[in-house]
Amino acid sequence: MADSTSTDVPAELKRKMDEAISRYPKEHRRSAAMPLLHLWQEHFGFISDDGVLWIAAKLGLQPINITELVTFYPMFRQKPVGKTHIRVCRTLSCAMAGSYQLMENLCATIGIERRPHGDGMHNPISVSADGNFSIEFVECLASCGTAPICMIGETLRENVDADSIADLLRNQTSNIKHRTSPHPLEHRLIFKNIGREDWTTDIDCYLRDGGYEELKQALAMSRSEIVDKVKNSGLRGRGGAGFSCGLKWSFIKPDEKRPVYLICNADESEPGTFKLEGILISCFALNARTAYIYIRGEFPEGAKILEHAIEEARQHNFLGRNILGSGFDVEVYIHRGAGAYICGEETGLIESLEGKRGYPRIKPPYFPAVLGLYMCPTIVNNVETLCHVKHIIAMGGVNYARLGRPNNTGTRIVCVSGDVQRPGYFEIEVGAVTIGQLIYEMAGGLKPGRKLKAIIPGGSSAKVLRAGERFKLKQKQPDGASIEREMSIDEIPMDFDSLAAAGSMAGSGGVIVLDDSRDMVWALNNINEFYAHESCGQCTPCREGSLWMQKITDRMLRGGGVTEDPKTLKSIGGNIAGRTICAFGEACAWPTQSFVEKFPEEFAARAQKPVPPALPPEYTPEELIEAESIQTVPMAHDPGWEKAGAAGII
Amino acid sequence: MSDQNPSSQPMLNVQIDSVWHQFPKGTRIIEACEQAGSYVPRYCYHKKLSSPGNCRMCLIEMGFPRLGPDRKSELGADGKPLINWMPRPQISCAQDVAEGIGVRTNSPLVKECQRGVMEFLLINHPLDCPICDQAGECRLQEFSVDFGTSQSRFLEHKVKKPKNAVLGPRVTLDDERCILCSRCIRFCQEIAHDDVLGFVDRGSYTVLTAHPGKELENNYSLNTVDICPVGALTSTDFRFKMRVWFLKETKSICTSCATGCNTIIGTREDVIYRQTPRENDAVNSCWMCDYGRLNFKYLEAKKRLLEPQIRREGKLVHTDWSTAIAQAALQLKQFSGTEIAIIASGRMTNEELWLTVQLAQSLGTHYIDIVPRRGRGDDILLSEDRNPNTNGARLILGSASEPGANLLAIADAVKSGQIKALAILKENTMHLGVPLERLAQLPVFIAMNILSNEATEKATVVLPACGFVEKRGSMINGKGRLQRLNRAVRPPGNARDDWEILRDLIQAVGGGDSLLSIDDVFRRIGETVPQFAGLTFSKIGDLGVQILQMEELPPTHPSDEEKIEQAVAIQARRRAVRSEST
Repeated sequence: MADSTSTDVPAELKRKMDEAISRYPKEHRRSAAMPLLHLWQEHFGFISDDGVLWIAAKLGLQPINITELVTFYPMFRQKPVGKTHIRVCRTLSCAMAGSYQLMENLCATIGIERRPHGDGMHNPISVSADGNFSIEFVECLASCGTAPICMIGETLRENVDADSIADLLRNQTSNIKHRTSPHPLEHRLIFKNIGREDWTTDIDCYLRDGGYEELKQALAMSRSEIVDKVKNSGLRGRGGAGFSCGLKWSFIKPDEKRPVYLICNADESEPGTFKLEGILISCFALNARTAYIYIRGEFPEGAKILEHAIEEARQHNFLGRNILGSGFDVEVYIHRGAGAYICGEETGLIESLEGKRGYPRIKPPYFPAVLGLYMCPTIVNNVETLCHVKHIIAMGGVNYARLGRPNNTGTRIVCVSGDVQRPGYFEIEVGAVTIGQLIYEMAGGLKPGRKLKAIIPGGSSAKVLRAGERFKLKQKQPDGASIEREMSIDEIPMDFDSLAAAGSMAGSGGVIVLDDSRDMVWALNNINEFYAHESCGQCTPCREGSLWMQKITDRMLRGGGVTEDPKTLKSIGGNIAGRTICAFGEACAWPTQSFVEKFPEEFAARAQKPVPPALPPEYTPEELIEAESIQTVPMAHDPGWEKAGAAGII
Repeated sequence: MSDQNPSSQPMLNVQIDSVWHQFPKGTRIIEACEQAGSYVPRYCYHKKLSSPGNCRMCLIEMGFPRLGPDRKSELGADGKPLINWMPRPQISCAQDVAEGIGVRTNSPLVKECQRGVMEFLLINHPLDCPICDQAGECRLQEFSVDFGTSQSRFLEHKVKKPKNAVLGPRVTLDDERCILCSRCIRFCQEIAHDDVLGFVDRGSYTVLTAHPGKELENNYSLNTVDICPVGALTSTDFRFKMRVWFLKETKSICTSCATGCNTIIGTREDVIYRQTPRENDAVNSCWMCDYGRLNFKYLEAKKRLLEPQIRREGKLVHTDWSTAIAQAALQLKQFSGTEIAIIASGRMTNEELWLTVQLAQSLGTHYIDIVPRRGRGDDILLSEDRNPNTNGARLILGSASEPGANLLAIADAVKSGQIKALAILKENTMHLGVPLERLAQLPVFIAMNILSNEATEKATVVLPACGFVEKRGSMINGKGRLQRLNRAVRPPGNARDDWEILRDLIQAVGGGDSLLSIDDVFRRIGETVPQFAGLTFSKIGDLGVQILQMEELPPTHPSDEEKIEQAVAIQARRRAVRSEST
């Protein structure tokens, strides 16, 4: 079957594919669909119809099962690209830093006339006539702190200057730089070593710094001891929802008969190798024999580093069979995503890992801890959360809990982007820094002469906070009593509970700063475009609502706003939030709801036209029934019309 | 199925719209609400398929019993538990009832949710109801009336998607009407075991399709049209033929195999427009195969026998019924029982078979049997036995051997010339292995059938009869269930109801007494066949009655079919030899 297609598949590629298939349980070969598609695309440049048929046959699937994936994940291409393929990030932070100008300049330089994306997501790639270049706008490349960014081939290019395109194209090396010295307000746990002169990503460097010591300690403990430590540490998930990690772990029954899986959700950021040790400790605590690291498809470098780290750890017997003589077997595999934001949702991620479209599952009944990967108990933890496990073992749960504030323990990586002087990553004790300190001290303040307009404190889905707002926050005092304080936006501490009390959320830790030069309708339209593009399309409110909201804000931007638009926008948001399968519903509704709510004057200014009359006239059934009693006035006697006629309007 | 045996399961108390009800464990909330009289609208949920929970139309408010400090539920003034309502609406299609839960199906929040979902579903919908085949039985239309609003706030361009897409030989898709509920995809995966449909692209641009070059062509493809809640999937055969509200619906059964799927026949003014499955968990769940569904077209064929005919001076000529019956009786009575044979059909109803037995008795013949009919079955619905009433023949012909076992002996007797008079009822002689020339030489050859064929051309009397949609009657399916056929259309021309033809023939040959209606016939069967005792047509009901446990029945003889095939092969060889020698 597999050879019935006309494409010649080289033996080396076949070998790699077989190796990829071997990473998943035999009865779940379908999971290998995405790895195989990646391999095919790396080799052939795109996924032809032959490729679909070949992979389907290889995995014993129907061709439609593969077509479903190729068209769901934006990274998979069905057509050839140019010799050099350029991906430009168009999401908010990059757009604010000029990525649309960058796109324009790039197109002019490489000779591409980009078609306006009239029908959204269908074939967004434009290829130059000579076939040397191709270009596309993509959604967030997860380096908002160094915006604008683009990927040239597989190389990430940060802080791109839109005016020196020639340099950008000539110089093919990555320009990623890490800040070496931490800011005094930082508390580096996870980023302890990043940026140090002699720091490398290999295991020798890691071992010199005391790597895998905590794994050794953990293997000597009982499983419940580790779970208790994590519970005591008060560690909350770093993915967005802020759910207690220890509580999540305790959902796995100690006497579970089915295989237990741990999934590391690295569908976003990439903070170093600590996570591998954290994963191994967590696997041991959960009695999980297999862990998968789901890493964003846009991080080919990160995936390579991780593959290498796993190989080295295997050589040192930190993973594999009978690790460090403990009798515990554990395997860790990398699974690359392919550019779908929804796969950051834990059940969407599980579906994706099973080789399907990343459609989140309904909960109940599909709580991952009960019916997760392959319908087995599964813990999905954010990569940053897992990194902390190592430090909890090292410090002890109670000591770790002393970091940060009560119920908001530990450190947290926040990424400041947008209109600040020094955007970037900062690792802070949760709640030890206020928004004001973060912006004005750590991120170097606003650009000269600018005033703060708004802050999105936890990724683009978090509700926006307006400068000048007063917030009433209850704060716990060290003696346990809580008092209510009124404060400005600058005084809000960066922790889960305070930001929630302020009506937003800590979310993913991505802080976007907007100054007074920004048009809030434009900003919202950019966010809406992201969510309309990333909605998986499974459930009705989010699928239809996200695109509708985007179409409205787009029309408003182009001068077609009608008076009802702000009201309609808010009510669409209300009809999505809380009524969808997953939290994406809130994620796409909150920006619209909060932008329109907090900046009514800007939206009203762009919504001036009268609502066009409905055609044909619509009546409620009651009105139709009562139609006979409605007085009909001949049009000529309508005073309004007469006046209009006199004024020469009609 | 759960309500068939409620006593074995614990009953749970559930409050629905302020009234407490009891349901067996395992009842879906959405089903419980419906049973309690509070219908919850739904698109993606189908009780025979898995629940993806994607349409969000069945959102309800739900709550759990409020627990006091002693962990026991607090009771209200009415002595019933108080309920803590969850702030977020929940879908009712994916959760089973639990003890003490509360459900609100018509609260302001629920209504707001329903209005919201309806609006979302319609913004990109083409609203082409006037030319849509689904109009009149469309959930979007129905729920718009019940749960939607009369206005649209949508001012943008709608998303464009493929229209008129041919998904397979029998199904046409309009993607713009599709609400992406995934019922069809799940049906193909879970019931038809043919994973051929899927979604491509993403978000609001998502499109239902089959992989290019692959078709939705399995034998169950038209069920996707039935379960499509909107006008996206349409039957290529039925498309644009008739507005559904003009269709008269007649409950009946499919007669294309021994499964006997329950059906609704849609007709208007004696024309059949479509056949759709009717739910019966004891027979066909909610499905039927495409072969059975479309197997009514032959009734409108050009070859349809419309007039009784008799052979006069070597030619078949039209006549009236009394002449045809008198002629047939006269011809048959010339011979003694040992010279007469009757070949009946497993496609005949119990009543027709019983009358056939009466005819045989009047004529004194023992040569009577049906023609077995076999094909490849599947593990879904299609049975290997393509006769719908083999079990009826078993009971009513009352012979010791399997239906069809005497067929070879009869054929031999015809060939040897022992049989002088042959009556063939609703069957094609090609199954008999008797050459046409031999049949043409028979002094008496009476053919009762629907369509003309090579054999009816050779008959001495031709009696035009009814198809399965044109008559009443009963049949026993392969699992021993007695079911009813109902008349959906009148027979064309001068074709007559089979039972009346047989009754008149019996009376003309001098046997039998007055049978005024088919109900009389049914009652008479009950007097001789114990399994029918005490039953009437109305007692059979729409869903049938189980009257046979299949263990009671003798095992089928697969060799019957082989024997016939062998005989036919031998016959063919002989003919070939003969044609060479001449």
